[in-house]
Amino acid sequence: MNTFPDLTSFSAEAVLTILGMAAITYGMRLGGLMMADRLPQHGRWAHVLERLPGAVLISVWVPSALSAGPIGVLGAAATVITMALARNLFAAMAVGMVVVGVGRHLAAS
Amino acid sequence: MSRPDKAPKSPSSQSAVGHFDADTVRRGALACVPLLPSTLIFGAVLGVLASQRGLSLGELLFMSLTVFAGSAQFVSVDLWREAVPSATIIVATAVINMRYILIGASLRPVFRGRPLWVKICGMHMVADENWAVTMTQPNLANPGFLLGGGLFLGVVWATGNTVGYLLGGGIPDPEVYALDFAFTAVFAALTIGMWKGKVDLLPWGAAAIGSIIGHYLLPGTWSILAGAGAGVVTAALTWRDDMDDTGPEAEFAVDGKTAYGAPEGALTSEAGK
Repeated sequence: MNTFPDLTSFSAEAVLTILGMAAITYGMRLGGLMMADRLPQHGRWAHVLERLPGAVLISVWVPSALSAGPIGVLGAAATVITMALARNLFAAMAVGMVVVGVGRHLAAS
Repeated sequence: MSRPDKAPKSPSSQSAVGHFDADTVRRGALACVPLLPSTLIFGAVLGVLASQRGLSLGELLFMSLTVFAGSAQFVSVDLWREAVPSATIIVATAVINMRYILIGASLRPVFRGRPLWVKICGMHMVADENWAVTMTQPNLANPGFLLGGGLFLGVVWATGNTVGYLLGGGIPDPEVYALDFAFTAVFAALTIGMWKGKVDLLPWGAAAIGSIIGHYLLPGTWSILAGAGAGVVTAALTWRDDMDDTGPEAEFAVDGKTAYGAPEGALTSEAGK
């Protein structure tokens, strides 16, 4: 390793790797939008596109709640219920995080 | 309040708001403020990891602003060695970020009627967080809102990286204050904001079941694709002709007029105009 902290060295290897990562990520972001633009505005595909954000979002957080263990599942449930009742993002986040934080504290003691 | 619209002439009535109107960009940034503590801490954790793996701070910041995808960056930096395993890292990035194809597709209403350059500029700063916040807005046709959240998160993320890298440790464990759970919580809460009625029930149920099965059976982030795939297939199968009674403008319209998706309701702040 170089002298720490190494602030400004740029190796060609690193820059090319990062550019590769960036190109593929941006390509998928823009490519997804471009593909959707070619789909019809009505009918089955439009219906699928409307369901898509919720389906992706659920698939992002459900596994991470499971990874956090039983307390994660409980925290996620508390978040969803608070949001459904109070319709307030701050409150829902706070309730979920307090449940998980307190739960972990109790589990550790 | 009225400000001169500096953006080029709108191509359609839906683009009444400028492409990247300054006010909208600011609102988009404010809507992502709840994510500040956890983004900062996780950015710092990545900074610490990068300093241990031999990336320079410059290389890390370059990555954070060009790739701009947290989970892929964690895996990539973790794989980083003196002799950079480029192919492995790029393939891992592609797999982890494959969900952005779906996220990009779901942003169609946000960029509807906008010229190509707006799409090209607006699609870079798209992370899960500002995407999810944007998709719960009552007026979706606002690429500036998406960009504002992305710029805000990008600045916070890079700041966290720098702090972590320079400290090289001593960052509080995110688990202590449940900051690792903040992302799960915000996504779970925003899901409620995306609910548009019973038509969502089966596709969402399928997505949940698919991602749970994927979580136990598949490695890494494949569970996201398993869940989204199950949701897409179910949505396609449950579609019927009589569902198609809404015009394109009504796509993603939210029942009622309450903007509960993001902390600063778009309508309440626009009411002052």
